[in-house]
Amino acid sequence: MAATALPRSEAGPADRQRALARFLARATGAEAVEVSRIALLPGGAIQDNWAIDAEFDGGALAGQQRLVLRIDAATGVPSSLGRIEEFAVLQAAFAAGVASPEPLFACKDPAVLGKPFFVMRRLAGSALGRPITLDPALESCRPRLAERLGQELARLQTIRPPRDDLGFLKAVAPVEHISNFRTYLDSHPNPRPVLEWALRWAETHLPEPLPPVLCHRDFRTGNYMLDGTRLTGILDWEFAGWGDPDEDIGWLCCKGWRFGRLDREAGGIAERAPFYRGYESESGRRIDPDRLRFWEVIANIRWAIIALQQSDRYLTGGARSLSTAITGRRATECELELLMLLDPDGGTERAHA
Amino acid sequence: MRDLPASRDLVALARELLLDELLPLLPPERGRDAHLIATAMAIAAREASAGNRWEQEIAGLLNGFYGESGSLDRLAADLRNGAFETSPSRGAAARAILWRLTVEKLREGNPQFLAANGFRSADGKGE
Repeated sequence: MAATALPRSEAGPADRQRALARFLARATGAEAVEVSRIALLPGGAIQDNWAIDAEFDGGALAGQQRLVLRIDAATGVPSSLGRIEEFAVLQAAFAAGVASPEPLFACKDPAVLGKPFFVMRRLAGSALGRPITLDPALESCRPRLAERLGQELARLQTIRPPRDDLGFLKAVAPVEHISNFRTYLDSHPNPRPVLEWALRWAETHLPEPLPPVLCHRDFRTGNYMLDGTRLTGILDWEFAGWGDPDEDIGWLCCKGWRFGRLDREAGGIAERAPFYRGYESESGRRIDPDRLRFWEVIANIRWAIIALQQSDRYLTGGARSLSTAITGRRATECELELLMLLDPDGGTERAHA
Repeated sequence: MRDLPASRDLVALARELLLDELLPLLPPERGRDAHLIATAMAIAAREASAGNRWEQEIAGLLNGFYGESGSLDRLAADLRNGAFETSPSRGAAARAILWRLTVEKLREGNPQFLAANGFRSADGKGE
């Protein structure tokens, strides 16, 4: 639902709108800035994204501008970056030529809007998963889109440690992922033997390490903008960190991100081949199916645990939301996929087995 | 003892009313909420209809597997520790329980997903 007031700080909506206008004027050297529209964009669970239309009187952005302001929502999750850090990651990605919203200004001062925030240009298009995977009008462009996503991911992976501007990013090795998942399962009230079995498989099938790269960690359908048939940018950089080059590939190909097109293994939009082709041509690195299998197992475990954590927000966090409460049921979909990946001859109930 | 129609029939009718008559009247941005409500109702109806049949079946499989009082907690802990990795037959028997557990949960929680992955539904149909 669109709203017209930034719900931050103890000041009123008009005060906050004026504070934002003053900030934008200061940041751009404008004589004045008139904010004509503020509307909450749909989709943010961890961050709020506000569409801002503003007229800049002089300065670096003189004229009418369409912007997005990104600020923490009421409830964050522990593994996400702060907004100032996410801004630095977005700056690095944009500078590396990754299709992404141009980052403009960050504000650490909580006196302005109550919390740190940053401002970026607003991209055209929509990121909604189901229209992207199911709209017949996109049918012919999807393989090209998959190839382009592969290229974008390879470009993103040209960002490598050490980087002074990204010194806050953590490197997460596979064993740490496994340990973190087990720590969560130890706190969960119900046993999840399928996840335990898959984690044990992962622990005993660790891939040979590759030099770390920047991982987006939520690179998937639903997190890129499409304007008609044109990819306009990759969104939501709050989970970024240093990691394995195959981690993001496994996440994009994970069955949970296919939005009604389970048969299209590259994000519900295409077969893997065009996505791999784009990635391999841009990166010069061949994708190793055994390594990727490991990362798809990790992706499904991670998806399952995120689903359980969503239900935890209802079960123990007091969130009165059906959408949140029901999401935990989807963990079992990931468990089925793990069984299909790791025990392909099992499952006697399979109709076509 | 209870009056008819049975609660599962009432839930089915309520779901039809929601999806067929109320959903078209809702603003588009609330359509997803209506579908979520319908999904929750369908899960509740399937769980009520199944009772604790498959949970008892899984408990029986666990008792048979361990030869004494088994539990999912114990199975989970053993799988974390790789307890059955030196015995192919024990490993296969443990995986059979995992399959059964997972398929039964999805028959209640998301039978469409199960069918889309090539599994038979509870009535034996493949889709």
